[in-house]
Amino acid sequence: MMPDYDAIVVGAGNAGSAAAITMASKGLSVLLVDRSDPPGAKNLSGGVLWGNDLAQILPKWQSEAPLERFIQNKKIGFLTDKSSIVIDFKTKMFEENKVGYTVLRSKFDPWLAKKAKEAGATVIPGITVESLAMKDGKVIGVQESGDTVTAGVVILAEGINPRLAIEANLRGPLQDWEVSVGVKEIIKLSPQKIEDRFNLTPASGMASEYIVGSLGELNIGAFLYTNKDSISLGIVSPMEQLRENGMTHTYDIIEQFKEHPSIAPLIEGGTVTEYGAHMIPEGGLDMVPKVFGDGYMIVGDAAGFGFSNGLVLQGMNYAFLSGILAGETAVEAKTRNDFSSSSLSLYREKLESSYVLKDLKTFKDIRKVTGNKNMYTAYPKMLESILLEMLWERGQPKKKVREILGSAANEMKMSRLKTVTDFYSIYRRM
Amino acid sequence: MDIKERLGKTKYDVDKNYAHISVDESICAKCPHHFCVMACPAQCYTLQDEKLVFQYEDCVECGTCSVACDQGSVTWHYPKAGKGVIYKFG
Repeated sequence: MMPDYDAIVVGAGNAGSAAAITMASKGLSVLLVDRSDPPGAKNLSGGVLWGNDLAQILPKWQSEAPLERFIQNKKIGFLTDKSSIVIDFKTKMFEENKVGYTVLRSKFDPWLAKKAKEAGATVIPGITVESLAMKDGKVIGVQESGDTVTAGVVILAEGINPRLAIEANLRGPLQDWEVSVGVKEIIKLSPQKIEDRFNLTPASGMASEYIVGSLGELNIGAFLYTNKDSISLGIVSPMEQLRENGMTHTYDIIEQFKEHPSIAPLIEGGTVTEYGAHMIPEGGLDMVPKVFGDGYMIVGDAAGFGFSNGLVLQGMNYAFLSGILAGETAVEAKTRNDFSSSSLSLYREKLESSYVLKDLKTFKDIRKVTGNKNMYTAYPKMLESILLEMLWERGQPKKKVREILGSAANEMKMSRLKTVTDFYSIYRRM
Repeated sequence: MDIKERLGKTKYDVDKNYAHISVDESICAKCPHHFCVMACPAQCYTLQDEKLVFQYEDCVECGTCSVACDQGSVTWHYPKAGKGVIYKFG
């Protein structure tokens, strides 16, 4: 029996819509469903959208998509109780290329799903797929309200909490080490205030990411981005950390970040207009399941495609590219009229030769760095005491840099051996 | 800012007939840590007189509790068609 569609895509986020556009524009019959209406209303952007891959399928995205501000400068830094140590990287190259933008997903995702519709896909929002339809161990479609809709291939773009894949045993339940809890607020602020405070033009924006060492034993990351007339601010707490600490509410951590002496002035006078939370893939290569099988492929967050090293947090680029590669694979599988596991293994090959799996392989041991507590507390504190010695006149005799380093390490009770091995570990893995 | 006040800023279309998450109270009664109370970003899990109380109405569907609960008490599904949290900004 002929299936109802060549492909069904579950989830109209970045990965799912990119897959649908790739397939529909090559003439495949595609059904794209999303559990929210409009699509994207369940999604939070915890990062900057880098659009190199999006440009492959939508070359005019920069002028057509609902974007907030292009990234003019990127800040990375450490926060201690009283200090912030931040590198502010601003380059004309960001402005000349304009590939990084802040986005609000509730505006961006409906646009992308609309593009899938324009490419020829059938897009149905407000459908929660209940389960995968299976036959002889193969995925043959999806089920909802007792109905089965069949397809040659089902592309699972469910996001970080992939219930269908877990329930069909296509991947195991998520473990602590695989995820962080992201908590985010949208803080309304006038464009004028944003541009004055962050030294921006009406079109340009700023993205900052922090390693926060001011929360005692908890090692967390935080971000602050500028939108047109709001600030996106959030914290990223590894589940392992939260469990080990066991006494801090995730919803309080973001408040503590907002109260930091370097952060509070940036959002002063702003009004919280939305609060939300989302998990973030943190497990790297180790959390990537088998991404294809008979009649299915897994893309985006659902496959664990994300990158985080404490200072850089990316996922939307991996979503676009994995969606495109799965889409291309489905197009080729259709010409062979073969959606078996061996036919769809081409998807894995494409991932292997792209930066998606190359990055995950290069940084497969990054959790040994991001999980190193000294990165969050001891080293920022050392850096702070070094900078205090060098940049603050306290009417005391000055020291040479090596003496400053030595006393900063002593202050933190860090042995020279531990410091050297830590830095060697970071040097090898980061 | 109190968490309840912040959650009040977020838009929902709550499904009054269907709780997409359920917890097994008998398991929660024996839980040694109640980590869900700390982990849930929407304060859906609270302890009242040492008893775990769960409400799904404020849930933002992040799935944190499905990972946080290592006792097998949480059964997690997505809400039905279009119900639940509706982010206006995201």
